[in-house]
Amino acid sequence: MAKAREIPGLSTDLAYGEVAARVLEVRCRELMDHSANVLDVTHIEGVHDMRVASRRLRAAIEVFWPCFPKKGAKAVLSEVKGLADALGERRDRDVAIAMLGSFAAAMPHPDRRGIASLIEEFEAEQLAANDELEGPVEPARLERLEAAVLELAAAARDAAGGSSPAGGSSNGSAPQQPAGEGEPR
Amino acid sequence: MKARKVKKLDPAGTLAENAARIVLVRVGELRAFAGDALDPDASATQHAMRIAAKRLRYVLEATGFCFGRAATSARRRTKDLQDLLGEIHDCDVMLPRVAEHRRALRRADADAVYERAGTDPDLDPKLAARAPHRTSYRGLDVLEVYLRARRKVLFDRFTELWHDSEERGVWRRLTAAADGEIARAAEMRRAAERAERARLALEEAERVRREAAEREQRAATELAEAEADVS
Repeated sequence: MAKAREIPGLSTDLAYGEVAARVLEVRCRELMDHSANVLDVTHIEGVHDMRVASRRLRAAIEVFWPCFPKKGAKAVLSEVKGLADALGERRDRDVAIAMLGSFAAAMPHPDRRGIASLIEEFEAEQLAANDELEGPVEPARLERLEAAVLELAAAARDAAGGSSPAGGSSNGSAPQQPAGEGEPR
Repeated sequence: MKARKVKKLDPAGTLAENAARIVLVRVGELRAFAGDALDPDASATQHAMRIAAKRLRYVLEATGFCFGRAATSARRRTKDLQDLLGEIHDCDVMLPRVAEHRRALRRADADAVYERAGTDPDLDPKLAARAPHRTSYRGLDVLEVYLRARRKVLFDRFTELWHDSEERGVWRRLTAAADGEIARAAEMRRAAERAERARLALEEAERVRREAAEREQRAATELAEAEADVS
């Protein structure tokens, strides 16, 4: 699994909104970078890496939820959830096939037939899951998602008053979700 | 499983204070599942606990640097918990699939043997001995045995990991670090309020002093004018 990329320049007294912007920018880049060859069923780690990146991006949106304009954040979160779900459906089949394959390899030949027929079932589901994944990972759709995420990051940064520490220059004006609303899941 | 709401998040506040509030809720959520999840048959609770571990893990990935070493060890533990509970869940999902697949093969075999019987008044056992999937059952039976035994092994590791985490105070230390950040932020706010009050008092004293000086100036002018009139 790909390690989470470091977020440059983080410190504890940075404004919540500024950190939100930095984290979102890096997590979004991570997601886009892992989107290549994701439909290749012979390269199952690609789906896994992109799925983990989507989870990290989703978690970042949820953790920093109060920093974003509500409407934009809801739309982005829904798109990321949809993407993560589609990747998860593919990944579940990839994992099942790999597990059954290695189990079958450890069994004597006569015992492999039933397992092979179960693997065939999962392979059919894997192809169906891959078809479902095509839409969410279409390059134009990912580009739109990237633009929307970067817009959220910019809004969070503006609300926090640029890159200044909290209390220094935060104008406290832009958060459209009132403080204390918490994170949606 | 719906995540618990985190209250008092403030976009204009510091990351550390907001992160502390989120961490405290997510740790509480995780620990709340432990009692029930330590029952080997509580697969739904174990699954919910895995999701709670995942939520805490990703919060710590983004904000753990605010809480020092307590967050580093907690993040590692949440990852281990998530992985173990995930593998347990994989077994739970696979077991009914294996059973269903075996049932489907048996149903297909029964239909095939029935077809072969044709118009015979009774079924010849030799026809069943040539059922098309007859050699598939054993592998699936062994797979089920493997999955059940593996689940037990993984569950033992999960309980061991959980008890070890509690004994080492992994969650207690993280909670203390988060509480510390909230207390520090509250102290900073109180200090800022004290500074603001002092600034206002200073401004007020300056205003009073300025007014007194103005009154003094006016009185001096009036006195000078009165003396001039007398002379």
